[in-house]
Amino acid sequence: MIDAAAWVCLLLPLASAIAITLAGTRVSRRLTGYVSTITTMGAFAAAVVAFIGLLGESPEDRTHTTTAWTWLSAGPYHFGLTLLTDQLSVVMMLIVTGVGSLIIAYSLGYMDREDEERRFFAYMSLFVFSMLLLVQANNLLILLAGWGMVGLSSYLLIGFYQERPVAIAAAKKAFVMNAFGDATMALALFLLIEHTGQLDYAGVFATSPQSGTAANLIALGLLGGAVAKSAQVPLHTWLPDAMEGPTPVSALIHAATMVTAGVYLIVRCHTLFENAYIVEDLAAALGAITLVMAGLIALVQTDIKKVIAYSTMSQIGYMFVGAGLGAYPNAMFHLMTHAFFKALLFLAAGIAIHALTGEQDIRRLAGVGKLMPYTKIVFLIGTLALVGIFPFAGFFSKDSILAASLDRGWYGATIFVIGVVGALLTGLYAFRLYFVVFTGEPSPFAREHYHAHQGKEGPVSMLWTVGVLAVLSCVGGLLQFAPFWDPLSKWLDPVDAPIATATSWEEWFASGLSLSAGLLGIFIAWSIYAAKRRPAPKPVKLFEKKFYWDELYDLVWYRSTESLTRGLYAFVERPLIAGSLTAVTSAFGLGSRELSTAQNGLVRSYALALAGGIAVLAVVFLAAR
Amino acid sequence: MHGPEIQWYVILSAILFTTGALGVMLRRSPLIILLSVEIMLNAANLLLIAFSRLHGREDGQIFAISVMAVAASEVVVGLGLIVAMGRRHVDLDVDKLRTLRG
Repeated sequence: MIDAAAWVCLLLPLASAIAITLAGTRVSRRLTGYVSTITTMGAFAAAVVAFIGLLGESPEDRTHTTTAWTWLSAGPYHFGLTLLTDQLSVVMMLIVTGVGSLIIAYSLGYMDREDEERRFFAYMSLFVFSMLLLVQANNLLILLAGWGMVGLSSYLLIGFYQERPVAIAAAKKAFVMNAFGDATMALALFLLIEHTGQLDYAGVFATSPQSGTAANLIALGLLGGAVAKSAQVPLHTWLPDAMEGPTPVSALIHAATMVTAGVYLIVRCHTLFENAYIVEDLAAALGAITLVMAGLIALVQTDIKKVIAYSTMSQIGYMFVGAGLGAYPNAMFHLMTHAFFKALLFLAAGIAIHALTGEQDIRRLAGVGKLMPYTKIVFLIGTLALVGIFPFAGFFSKDSILAASLDRGWYGATIFVIGVVGALLTGLYAFRLYFVVFTGEPSPFAREHYHAHQGKEGPVSMLWTVGVLAVLSCVGGLLQFAPFWDPLSKWLDPVDAPIATATSWEEWFASGLSLSAGLLGIFIAWSIYAAKRRPAPKPVKLFEKKFYWDELYDLVWYRSTESLTRGLYAFVERPLIAGSLTAVTSAFGLGSRELSTAQNGLVRSYALALAGGIAVLAVVFLAAR
Repeated sequence: MHGPEIQWYVILSAILFTTGALGVMLRRSPLIILLSVEIMLNAANLLLIAFSRLHGREDGQIFAISVMAVAASEVVVGLGLIVAMGRRHVDLDVDKLRTLRG
């Protein structure tokens, strides 16, 4: 039954994508949205069935594999189209399909009467299918296939508004960055095949090299893929640009289907990373750098979606810290709560954007909260959960990561300090956004352009989904409260035994410190943006320019290549290649001009030439004899 | 075999050929050039017949007759051209007739 549920869960979204594509204009736009929503909810139901099935078994037997057929045979290597249903993948399936179906249901209202609604919903279903393939795979090859398809779907959806050049550029950027990660992952898989002869998780984890260069390279390659997909430094620049897609797409990418894949990969392949502890520490360091950097950039952004996008980068940074330091259940826990409140933030922001004719600039959206009380409340819940204020979801998950980092000596302690600074920044930028957009008097723009949707703030499908997510953001964190109960850690323990577990004392210390940091951030934001006791500080150029990463890549990849080609053109192509051809043609031209003077039309000279030639030939023949 | 030895025929043919070749190269009148060409052809004919006689075979004589036929046709065309040029009062000087130089 569990195997059947796994297949249903995987194939329903694919069937929906194919059906919508084949149906074309024969079905109404509205119907495609319903098909997509219902199939994703069906997939969620199947995931729940699988989950309940697993619950009924003893913890050691909760690993189920089911093979459809041998997908690829190459010499002695055989890779089956095999699904794995175990504690970890079922958690991911629940998050992907659960949050995914809410976001798609929300899109019913958001994308209503949009051109090409059908294409949108087909892509959304494809996106969910790709992510499910990624998390349900039983070997790294199928995972890589899902990995690549997630990249493809994100490309299609980020560039959904294909008439906008910015959107197309953002889609290409995301695709190229992800392709880089795919390539490093493929290299890691080659190494794994060389050393273990297979790619099935169980076999790979049992037989991969325990240490040494090979183990480090394998982990590094996988980390490259994870960093690109999860938008961590240094492969993060695609994420803010990806805001060019429709808002539900941003929610889907950030909450359910894409950026969490990197965390899942590290947690799933933790054995490989533990064999290369340097690389695992590197993952934590990258997460720490990202969480602070993204927080600083988020302080000065003026686009509501970009602020939320940078907050995602920052929160994924926490998950990388957790996964990199070996607190796998904590990373997964934060992944789950983050999916709730990040989807909530995006979708609530989407209601405001939708009601204000697509405006995203927070200075023009300012004060819209007075016009939209429901959106204001749900956004506040999402923001509190993001900052990690008790008792909202982020408090339990983020603090448990920070607490676990205290368990890892001086390295963990350093990262702990960075994480607390990150918590302060989170409070600051999240509530800057909240206070500017949702408190105070409405701006003239908001007053003029706000139009209610049939007396409500938005279509019904947008309001109830956001409500569900708000409830989940409130209570989702209560699933695990580390000092008292930890069902998720126990659930994941057979597949992901953590190597860093916080003591009760560390839990209290970390919670207290990061909660106060978050509250301090909120207080600063309040005194600047709500109470206006202090003038708003001038935006720092370094943050506005996003730490010059785009410029750096421009310099390293684009400008250097451009100058190289220009140099080659000036010093090799023009003188050597074009020059030699010109020399050959002009030599022939000169020679033929000189020769043509011999053709002077004087019959007698021709005769003389003939006679002379014969005479010379005669002499030659006589002499040669 | 009666008559002179073969080398006399060869010498005479060489003299005739040289005369014709020099005529072609040195004279300007198309008429004279045509005649000089005829002399060269006949020098060749003389050699053909002489060697045919020396070897006692007839193919050389057949060749000579073919050459005469070709020479006759050539003279017809050539003289026709020259007469046409004369009628049009074109200067009969090959150094001036170079419009077909290309």
